[in-house]
Amino acid sequence: MRLNFFVNDAPVSLEVDPQRRLLDILREDLELTGTKEGCSEGECGACTVIMDGLAVHACLTLAAQLQGRHVTTIEGLEKNGELDILQRCFVEEIAIQCGFCTTGMIMSAKALLLHNPNPTEEEIRTALSGNLCRCSGYVQIVNAVSRAARELGGEV
Amino acid sequence: MKLVGTEQPIHDARSKATGRLRYTCDIVQPRQAHLAMVFSSIPHGYVVSVDATKALELSGVYGVFHYYNTPEYRFNHYRTQFQAAQDLPPEECVFQRYVRFVGDRVAAVAAKDPETARRAAALVKVEYQQLPYATDFDEALTGKHCLDGQAPIEDECNITVGQPRPDEAEGIEVTVHNELSRLHHAAMEPHACVADYDPDTDELTIQSPNQAVFGIRTVVADMLHMPYNRVRVIKAPMGGSFGGKQEWMLEPVCAVVAKELKRPVKLVYDRAASMRSTYCRCAMRGDVRGVFRKDGTLLRLDLDILLDAGAYIGNSRDYIRAPFGKMFRCYRVPYGTLHGRVVSTNTTPSGAFRSWGVAEYYVMVEHMLNKAAAALNMDPVELRLKNVLLPGESDIKMKLPVEETRTRECLLQGRDHFHWEEKRKADTEFNASNHRYKRGTAVACGGHTNTYYTRFNDFAGVEARMCDDGTVQANVSIHDHGCGSVQAFKMILADALELPIDLIRMGEADTAHTPYDYGCFSSRSTFVVGRAVQCCGENLRREIIKSAALMLDVPEEELYIKDASVRRKGYEDVALPYKDISQWTILNRRQELFADARHHNVTNPTVTGAHFAHVEVDTWTGLTKVLDYLAVHDVGQAINPAMCIAQTQGAIQMGCGAALREQFTFAPDGRSVSSLAKYHLMNAPDLPDIQVELIQDGRSQEGPFGAKSIGEVGMVPVAAAVAGAVNQALDADLQVIPMDPDRIVEYLTKREAAKCD
Repeated sequence: MRLNFFVNDAPVSLEVDPQRRLLDILREDLELTGTKEGCSEGECGACTVIMDGLAVHACLTLAAQLQGRHVTTIEGLEKNGELDILQRCFVEEIAIQCGFCTTGMIMSAKALLLHNPNPTEEEIRTALSGNLCRCSGYVQIVNAVSRAARELGGEV
Repeated sequence: MKLVGTEQPIHDARSKATGRLRYTCDIVQPRQAHLAMVFSSIPHGYVVSVDATKALELSGVYGVFHYYNTPEYRFNHYRTQFQAAQDLPPEECVFQRYVRFVGDRVAAVAAKDPETARRAAALVKVEYQQLPYATDFDEALTGKHCLDGQAPIEDECNITVGQPRPDEAEGIEVTVHNELSRLHHAAMEPHACVADYDPDTDELTIQSPNQAVFGIRTVVADMLHMPYNRVRVIKAPMGGSFGGKQEWMLEPVCAVVAKELKRPVKLVYDRAASMRSTYCRCAMRGDVRGVFRKDGTLLRLDLDILLDAGAYIGNSRDYIRAPFGKMFRCYRVPYGTLHGRVVSTNTTPSGAFRSWGVAEYYVMVEHMLNKAAAALNMDPVELRLKNVLLPGESDIKMKLPVEETRTRECLLQGRDHFHWEEKRKADTEFNASNHRYKRGTAVACGGHTNTYYTRFNDFAGVEARMCDDGTVQANVSIHDHGCGSVQAFKMILADALELPIDLIRMGEADTAHTPYDYGCFSSRSTFVVGRAVQCCGENLRREIIKSAALMLDVPEEELYIKDASVRRKGYEDVALPYKDISQWTILNRRQELFADARHHNVTNPTVTGAHFAHVEVDTWTGLTKVLDYLAVHDVGQAINPAMCIAQTQGAIQMGCGAALREQFTFAPDGRSVSSLAKYHLMNAPDLPDIQVELIQDGRSQEGPFGAKSIGEVGMVPVAAAVAGAVNQALDADLQVIPMDPDRIVEYLTKREAAKCD
């Protein structure tokens, strides 16, 4: 199929198998390797991207579902060399260890803050429930999201 | 000290946050072949034939490699040192004829892209001759899977430490039985490796996230009969290991295929293969016996352990012995015995797992201590306080002083900050007034090591050179798991040199460039390698002063360092920047500013912690919730306290999973769980706001700035504390870990039924 969609606000046109996973389109066809594959079945959240404002698993999203859609990946967050507030808060709050879950975690947090700029700790933990981190106990990750929300103007 | 003790993000935090860091799965090499594996579909038997005809007909397939078309490459996946230092026989082939578990390696397909390789692998036809198999202890002990001449018990040991106490016969005896499930490491990054072979120079290059580049080099070079200096192994960024990337599964495959094909290859396991076809933490059964005086003094500790090695013996002979040594690092055990037995089964091999068996042994010992506290009518914290080792005492197994141990202070601080007595009292009231929900609070301690010493004469080497602009680059064999070793070492060097941290460059281990090192084992990185970094920094500092003295033609004693420049006492206008000294040294001393350090490690103080868990159990569903958790650790000087705390919180997440949920199980046909949908990790809503406190005044003599280890000890008390809290909540004696809902409900149902009878 001829697939026309948007990745990080740029139009993309590709000839792909309709069953090709968004994850492979991003990583192999578009060389956007910031999106990671941890489980291939939507359990770990390492491949989380935002599609039309919602967090989705790139490993469970197929090319046929992408026509005309807007996909944002971790590569789309940094603007003019400046980190997104979430990225900066993850760095500064020591919320990053091995980093393999980080990009998916940040994208889930981004989707949360798009819809709920003022989340409680419980809402943050629930929003991140599909993102597994094996290095931490989630404390700094929750702190990072909470701080990003505060810096964006909400009160947590 | 300026940086040591401050909170710093990991060195590559920014590139991890942007997604720009290239893990092994992100590496693209020109002409790269992608590998897909064919794994055994039977638990035990022989590969009779491999028919690759259909696979080879696919366009873009470069080759199919298996036992019958390659030389018999053999290796031992546990070996990390040269054969003379670690006498381990080659136990497995790169491609097996004799398969021992579902998931054993049978063949590898190389193709132009991952999809073609996967499709071709599915077309490879393998014919098997099946043999009887065993998947658990009971089957293994019957020997039904044993070949001619093979016994069900692969290894047996009896070890005794210390001397029996004269009043042992009058002591109070307490016994427990425990069973522990297999665990999957569940590093978020599945296993991956790339390799390239240059036939003109006969050089093989391997990159993987691993814990010992020199270990891979010795295994691969010996297997391929190559000189060691022709095999280059590079430590790639690691998306978590927890012991799961310290034994070699993918590297030998990539090495063989790259050499056969004479082109770069890449092999990335998916989650299913990482679970089924690498290795797991062993299953264990244990009986523990303690003998106490009436006042709670521990007189004797006996452990009887049965360990399932899985399909290959690998590290299991060491894995059953090593944790016994850690029984003498936390508590005063005057006399201890271990009877250990190892069986093999036709399941995923057992291997290294964070704490190396110590958390498992402490689950049993702490369980026994909780029963002892009840039997002696003592508070569980008091019983532990009675028996913890104190400064001035010795680890009688290693025959080393415990040094400035702070286990007692960990217990006291934890008891206070966790509101132990209030919580226990509140639990009693809560349980009396609640029929459905029950709460329990428990404590557990644990001890571990900082180094290979005394098992090996541990050492580390570091080189540092100052560039002609005054910046510094250091060569050191670091294997950062993602918990901040590189950043910690940069902080150490920056403080030793009084140089801003961003002017220091430090890569990770690379056998072509960095000094020989045992790798990241035994929680040795900071204590041993970090100390070498500190020594190297001090040596380079002396070189800088020496050059400056020659440059100024004044005695060295008159010079000192401040703010990355050399000053002269009494002459405030003299301030030689490092850049000027470096350039002067090159032009006049005809050398660069260079220093190295060879650190020979000769101590191993005890390193311990005390953990406190508060758990609620739903007796109707068996579901559990960790309500509150506090860990207090004796770490000496924390180099980067924020990373110590984050890493320990991770150990607690992992230990809570081990106690309550995680179990890597096998179906009767020998197939393992191979999905995170069926292997339940703790997620963000499952865990409380985990508290970790560090006690930093028990400095080590030898660690950098007085540091001790943190990597493994954080894991040791967790499952013991959480399991203890569940038993406390239910006033029960659950023995099987994890205490998952099914087991809890089954136990309570049986208990109710017994009451009715």
